[in-house]
Amino acid sequence: MSLFTVARDDFKNARRSYVVLGVVGVLTALVALIFVSEINVYDHPYRTLFDVSFFMFLVFPIVLAPLTYLAIAGDRDSGAIKYAMGLPNSRAQYVFGKFVSRMGVAAAAVTLAVAVGLVIAFAAFTNAPGVARFAAFLGVSLLAAFAFVGIYIGISAVTASRSRAMLGVFGAYFLLVPFWFGFLPVIGLPDLLDTVADLLGTSIANDTQQFIRALSPATSYLFSTQIVYQGLFPTPYESLNAQIGNAPDKIYAKAWFNALVMFAWGAGSMLVGYLSFRRSELG
Amino acid sequence: MPAIETDGLTRRFGDLVAVDALNLTVEEGEVFGFLGPNGAGKSTTINMLLGFLKSSDGTATVLGHDAQRKSRAVRQHTGLLPEGFSVYENLTGREHVVSAIQTKGADDDPDEILDRVGLEPAATRRAAGGYSKGMQQRLALGIALVGDPDLLILDEPSSGLDPKGAKLLRDIVREEAARGATVFFSSHVLGQVEQVCDRVGIMNQGTMTAVDTIDNLRERIDAEAVIEADVTEVPDTDPVAAVDGVREVTVAGRTLEIVCSRPAAKMPALRALDDVATVTDITVTDASLEALFEQYTGTDSGASDANGATPQTAAASGGDAA
Repeated sequence: MSLFTVARDDFKNARRSYVVLGVVGVLTALVALIFVSEINVYDHPYRTLFDVSFFMFLVFPIVLAPLTYLAIAGDRDSGAIKYAMGLPNSRAQYVFGKFVSRMGVAAAAVTLAVAVGLVIAFAAFTNAPGVARFAAFLGVSLLAAFAFVGIYIGISAVTASRSRAMLGVFGAYFLLVPFWFGFLPVIGLPDLLDTVADLLGTSIANDTQQFIRALSPATSYLFSTQIVYQGLFPTPYESLNAQIGNAPDKIYAKAWFNALVMFAWGAGSMLVGYLSFRRSELG
Repeated sequence: MPAIETDGLTRRFGDLVAVDALNLTVEEGEVFGFLGPNGAGKSTTINMLLGFLKSSDGTATVLGHDAQRKSRAVRQHTGLLPEGFSVYENLTGREHVVSAIQTKGADDDPDEILDRVGLEPAATRRAAGGYSKGMQQRLALGIALVGDPDLLILDEPSSGLDPKGAKLLRDIVREEAARGATVFFSSHVLGQVEQVCDRVGIMNQGTMTAVDTIDNLRERIDAEAVIEADVTEVPDTDPVAAVDGVREVTVAGRTLEIVCSRPAAKMPALRALDDVATVTDITVTDASLEALFEQYTGTDSGASDANGATPQTAAASGGDAA
């Protein structure tokens, strides 16, 4: 059971630092704040979940960065890896033990944040929240956590120093969240693709653009939250109807496809990280 | 079956050959001192024995397992005190040992181990990140002892230890050897290994320059005694130089330096000198193990690398000898 031992040691070590408290506290506090500030704005808690999903899309991957980027690179930097790998742990047990521990923290943070939101919704919103909708929201958020924890731990496994791990993790965030989605004006993958298409004298169909956007775990997370609102449309909320209500019958708008994209990013990154770490030198 | 056997083990980092075709055999049950100045390739060798680093060439077998491909089997039966080790800051010392026991599937009592390496019970329940270097080193030694390993690999184990800690380390090495364990003790300070090791290997610039028993080394050292004698008037030194076992007589002012190649030659040489001159004072200097070590690690290895050797020997003799 040495994967368990690695995970437990890592979890204990992290728990006693401020990083776990910080991640769980910050996420819970911000989600609670969104709910509290919308008590008198919307009657339906699901409308607040819609705002929370945008917040999660943008901020959750940032919150996960400090939790994860040093998981392996930090051990290599400090020399603690000589302790863990001097014991008869395999490289796989070490890498996946780290993943299990940090994923556990991320899952706890998401669960607590959604639970606190649910409690506020029950206590203060005009209409009672749908527990199943909150559960669905928790489910896709856990998948997003899996994707980003996997990506970040994978990067941590590939890098040997703190600075490179930090650069890698923030690079991945920028690439996968604002750039891929096209959140920033001009600097974005959709604009880039359009420009390239223009130069080639062609254009990219809207569906193709959307499909490409959905290949990022962050965008897929955003698209996947549509399962939270099933059976509600048309809602009294225009923006929700406009953005989620008319999901086209395309593959990129299917929850299973979005789930698959998130899972593939998390699992694929861990696999790449492990394969790199398996061959890496710890001297 | 030897505990450690390497055959042409080589490690290159770019153009630098850190370990150059090393052939090393450490027999089961022996305490082997692995000596050499900083940068000699000792830690690189150890890291290859544990599978932390890949070899560029050659093979290494530890406890009958291929060190590169069966590193987990090696580590299951090896206790390691690594160089550049660091603890998990927020775990207590005791938790480190408990995890080591669980990972190895051993049935040791963690408190017994921690007591053995001299960590106070109160300290073992504090976060190891607050430990002094010496305490961390004791903890690392404790972790290495978990599961009564067949082989102990100790890389610079005395660094950071006070004299009491260094003595404890020597006692533990002797106890482990008495139990039948093989101990591979790496150090850049000869004084730390000479008291416990059966054999020493001296490594320099990636190659093993000498492997011998401590007793043989001592014999060679006894062979190198130097008598300095002050005389009232410098005599003809030929009768002294003619004494069997005297290798060389040199004169500096009114001081004669008589180099003997055998310990038994000292008294006859002094008598011969007394016959031809009035001796006012003598000092006898036995060449130390340190001097021999210096000799093997570069000082006498020729003019071409004399420059390179100076800092190494300084490091070798200026360390934290306990």
